[in-house]
Amino acid sequence: MSNDLQKNMLKKLLLRTSHKSRLWAALAALFIGTTLLLLSVMIWWNFSELLYGKSQNDTLGSTFMIIGKKVTEQNMGVANATVFSQNEIDSLKLAPQVQDVGLISSNHFPIYATLGGRLAFATDMVLEAVPDKFLDKMPAEWAWEPGSRNLPIIVSSQFLDIYNYVFAPSQGLPQLSQASVKNIALTMKVGSGENTEVFIARVVGFSDRIGSVLAPQSFIDYGNKKFSKPGDKQSTSQIMLKAKDPSDVQFGKYLDKHDYTTNSQNMRWSKIRAIVEVVTSATGILALLLMGIGTLVFILFIELTIARAQHSLTLLLQIGYGPRYLSRFMIGRFLPMVLGTVIAAMIVTILGQAAASVLVQKQSLILPLVPGWPVWAALAVSTGILVMLVSRSISGAIKKQ
Amino acid sequence: MQLSLKGIIPVPLREKVNAYQSGLWKTNLTINQGEYLFVQAPSGTGKTTLIHILYGLRKDYEGQVNWADTNFTGSDTETVAGLRTNGISVIFQDMRLFPELTALENIEIKRRLTNTVTTEQAQEWLDRLGLRDKKNSMAATLSYGEQQRVAIVRALLQPFEWLLMDEPFSHLDHANTAKAIALISEVVQERNAGMILADLDENNFFPYTKTLML
Repeated sequence: MSNDLQKNMLKKLLLRTSHKSRLWAALAALFIGTTLLLLSVMIWWNFSELLYGKSQNDTLGSTFMIIGKKVTEQNMGVANATVFSQNEIDSLKLAPQVQDVGLISSNHFPIYATLGGRLAFATDMVLEAVPDKFLDKMPAEWAWEPGSRNLPIIVSSQFLDIYNYVFAPSQGLPQLSQASVKNIALTMKVGSGENTEVFIARVVGFSDRIGSVLAPQSFIDYGNKKFSKPGDKQSTSQIMLKAKDPSDVQFGKYLDKHDYTTNSQNMRWSKIRAIVEVVTSATGILALLLMGIGTLVFILFIELTIARAQHSLTLLLQIGYGPRYLSRFMIGRFLPMVLGTVIAAMIVTILGQAAASVLVQKQSLILPLVPGWPVWAALAVSTGILVMLVSRSISGAIKKQ
Repeated sequence: MQLSLKGIIPVPLREKVNAYQSGLWKTNLTINQGEYLFVQAPSGTGKTTLIHILYGLRKDYEGQVNWADTNFTGSDTETVAGLRTNGISVIFQDMRLFPELTALENIEIKRRLTNTVTTEQAQEWLDRLGLRDKKNSMAATLSYGEQQRVAIVRALLQPFEWLLMDEPFSHLDHANTAKAIALISEVVQERNAGMILADLDENNFFPYTKTLML
């Protein structure tokens, strides 16, 4: 006779129960609880990824923001009223939540850009530069050295949107993709009078973080040194900040206290994040509650099954079966149910993550196809606790015999 | 494996034992492996209690039971289970079969624990005790005599150094008793084991080396 027969005999003796509905109810509660727990962790993590993940392009929000001094009735027309002093810059570095401070510099010299062909235009231009570490994208061509005639520039994504959805339709001009814009060469005449140079500028990237046209810092420094008016003092009126959590109350108070303005979009997303955290936390608590109830009912079901099999269990112990052997048998019967439930919950979560990834892709956002590590960690911890509770309840109930 | 008893007094029998100064209770006794001990006593004097104490089913006694170097009195359940699987076997007075299993399944569920004997050997023993046609009958439907014979075969399936028997032939007629004695003697001798038989009346089922009264 095979081992299966022995297991079948033990099953016949030990696993008699007429309360299958309780078992299904317990497993259903466990499944719903585990699924909700994993989904709430998944949602929380996905939202964090969308807001602060390295793979994002700041479409949804950012810890990066540009601040400036408010223009008020009082300081209108006052020279250097919106310029940051060195003390203010140093103070910003110590402000709550601030992780990094980058000075935005702009051209203090004339730039005149022209474009031929069907899209012909000519305009004065302003260029800005930020330290490279504050860029949301770092194109491979992002470098300029004195002597080079080719100038890489990064344009705000909003510019292209305004062109494609507002300007082009109203003027009967063709709409442009990002790739086609990168093929356009702008002629830039820099300087004035005898002191001029001509550069060919090409768009090498689009920024969601900065709302202007960026040139490499080396170009702005070169131009300001060579083409600005003698005695022109370079000043900083815009600063880029990297904040750990822009929704922090102390951070907001600091900005208000110093009359600094910022991109309110970032703050708004941060508040939404706070709301998502509350909702996911509430769902998580509900999930834990459901899991707790499911586990409790499941353990009660096990204890009831063992109590019903008390006579057989006692006899088995009397004919030489050890408590450990019987515990292992019972655990081997009940644990797969728990693990099956957890695996089913994980499958739902994986499918949910894949669906979320596909959905946000349509909004030009990036989410991984598989759940992130916090979901796996939650799965591991909850499974570990479940396995431990079930194993201990079985061993404890058998030892009582 | 030597059995030694040190001043055993079952708690429920304490007053009676103290009053009558019984033959086995309260005494210190050592029995060597291979000895055949017969415990004779009338009903109600503690034969089953003694067998249960020796098999580790009861803890409500004073004194100490040692199987070899193992203090059975204070042993954990796993140690006791180990001894029951490989050292001590028992034939209960009340058989203690699983009523929801067949005669053969009752045998197999024990046999599979150690695989000391083959299924064929176990079935042959059942045949020798006249249970050829009852192997697939549910234990609950067997007569007491048939149940007792299944219990005897079950007790012989494992490796053992001691066989404890509590009125093992109480439901058997002379012919079946003789068959059972022959089978038990054969297996016990083969294993070089000792035995303790508790019964009501004096008998010569086995060549006892010691006889004790309770």
